[in-house]
Amino acid sequence: MDYDRKLTTAWITPQMLVAFLLFGTMPFWIESVGLYQYLGVEVMIWMIFALGFNLLLGYTGLPSFGHGAFLGIGAYTFGLAQFNVWPNLWFCLLAAVVVTGLIGGISALFLSHRRGIYFALMTIAVSQIFFFIASKWTDVTGGEDGLLNIARLPVELGVTSFSIEDNVGLYYLAFALFVGTVILLWRLTNSPYGRILRAIKQNEMRVRFVGYDVRFFKWTVFTLSCAVTGLAGGLFAMAQEGAYINIMSLQWSGIIVLMTLIGGGFVSFWGPVFGVILYFVARDVLGAYTETWLLWFGLMFVLLVMFKPEGIAGIWRDLVSRRRAAKRDGEAVSSLAQPEAGR
Amino acid sequence: MYDLIPHLINGLALGLLFALLGLGFMLIIGVMEVINLAHGSLFALGAYLALALMAPDGGLPFAFMEPYYALPAVVRYVIALIVGPALVGLVGMGLELCLRRTYGTDPLYGLLLTFGAALVLEETIREIWGSTEYYLPVPKAISGGFIFGDLIYSNYRIYAAVFAAAMIGVLWLFLNRTPYGAVIKAGAHDSEMVRALGYNLKRLRLFVFAFGAALAAIAGIIMAPIWGIRPVVGVDAVIPAFVVIVLGGVGSFWGAVTAGTLVGLVVGLTAAFLTDWSMLSMYLLLLAVVTFRARGLAGKASVLEA
Repeated sequence: MDYDRKLTTAWITPQMLVAFLLFGTMPFWIESVGLYQYLGVEVMIWMIFALGFNLLLGYTGLPSFGHGAFLGIGAYTFGLAQFNVWPNLWFCLLAAVVVTGLIGGISALFLSHRRGIYFALMTIAVSQIFFFIASKWTDVTGGEDGLLNIARLPVELGVTSFSIEDNVGLYYLAFALFVGTVILLWRLTNSPYGRILRAIKQNEMRVRFVGYDVRFFKWTVFTLSCAVTGLAGGLFAMAQEGAYINIMSLQWSGIIVLMTLIGGGFVSFWGPVFGVILYFVARDVLGAYTETWLLWFGLMFVLLVMFKPEGIAGIWRDLVSRRRAAKRDGEAVSSLAQPEAGR
Repeated sequence: MYDLIPHLINGLALGLLFALLGLGFMLIIGVMEVINLAHGSLFALGAYLALALMAPDGGLPFAFMEPYYALPAVVRYVIALIVGPALVGLVGMGLELCLRRTYGTDPLYGLLLTFGAALVLEETIREIWGSTEYYLPVPKAISGGFIFGDLIYSNYRIYAAVFAAAMIGVLWLFLNRTPYGAVIKAGAHDSEMVRALGYNLKRLRLFVFAFGAALAAIAGIIMAPIWGIRPVVGVDAVIPAFVVIVLGGVGSFWGAVTAGTLVGLVVGLTAAFLTDWSMLSMYLLLLAVVTFRARGLAGKASVLEA
């Protein structure tokens, strides 16, 4: 994940502008390419989730296999805050972010001194605890039925407010939050803090010996990642108009890893975004032909891990660097050839 | 206290099966250094294959199988117990061949590949058998229950406990008293040295993966009448396997057996008081132990510990 210095110090990069333009106009063209508005909402929410998740997987090299649990916690918190505390959009979203971040922070106390496979195993155990609580604490979470009838609260902007009952409205709320998340995460991952995270990914021991408190950094990044996940969870509760336990299962936790990796979260900031789009498009396109689209998607994923674990972003990067190399070679050849011609 | 005896037996049966499942899982971690997320799916596949070999209604609709289904239930059960794991072993071999490309890279890739494989296996099962729940029929000799004192005991659970204990015993003898076992243990300890000594490491890995997969399938077949057979049963199985390995300590045979039994007993006993919440106790036990002893109950200090 090396970029030009210009890019890493910028708040808004050209890639962001392209992405914002593309996603900002999505409601106008999504139906003309044969898709539907709700898909846009779903993609937007999962992109926020995947970008937050990639803080751990791609930047810090921490394979959390239990992040679905935090998405669920965000969704439940949103619903419970709406039913029991104050049905205000900003308050409920903030509650989802803060509570998920807090629970993530507490979980991270058990996780932050682990790495590699042990980290993955412990995240599975932690996520299963939350999964069980959500599925059995029927009085609060509704158990297997989940929380039903979560409303899409109107967006209050002081002087004015508008409704997000329809999918386009909700899409623009999610889009606005996506823009904010992207800019914040871009700044974060390109700050000195982000550099330490990348260093931890490369060699944790060395970072410790240099004098950084690795455990503290891992704790903070896990908490932050959970907070972003909580935001996605709150939006997800509105999109689904409910909060259900199935997203907290191990399988969904695996799916987010799959999306992030298939897009190339290891090598690119934008990898997770590609991965999410690919997943949902594959679901709709393959799903139109076969009930068991996940089987084919799984096979594709297995092949990708075998042959190109850097994902789509990795393939793209290779193409670009090969073209650049070819161009450089070409220039080198022509500069050698020129004196010949001049003679 | 007296009423708890059936729960103790149920817990013990569950625990020994968890231990068996965990041991197969551990062999694969030891030799391949891969966390096999597909282990649960192999467990489920074993159960489904046994179903196909036991019952015409839940089986595969092949006409030529008709005379086979006329065989007595006991014979079919024994065949299922041998052929099912053998077929799952072959699937395991296929998986190992795919995994070869990830050796020597980030262990995360092996983990992800097996997650993909788990998805593929689960969807394949769904495609063939659908999503309905089946129960594996068992021969009369091991079904039913008996009354001892004031309490009713399930025959099957006692059979499951004895069978799992016997399998664990055989596995221990195999690993510790045969030259093959010595090579596997050496391979888990230092695969480079095994290769340097002239053993075919590729073949060893292929064999160990098949063996671990077959153990998962056996556990699946034994567990099937207790848990029922659903496509998602794989996830229910792979998680206890993790817990057993982490709790017991990666690489320790008796650690895994102790942890498995302990987990089973804790789950069985909490089921006596809080039926719904019993599975949660296993994670709390894990967190409690691992917080104070990162390497698990009997694990040796290793790079995995941190």
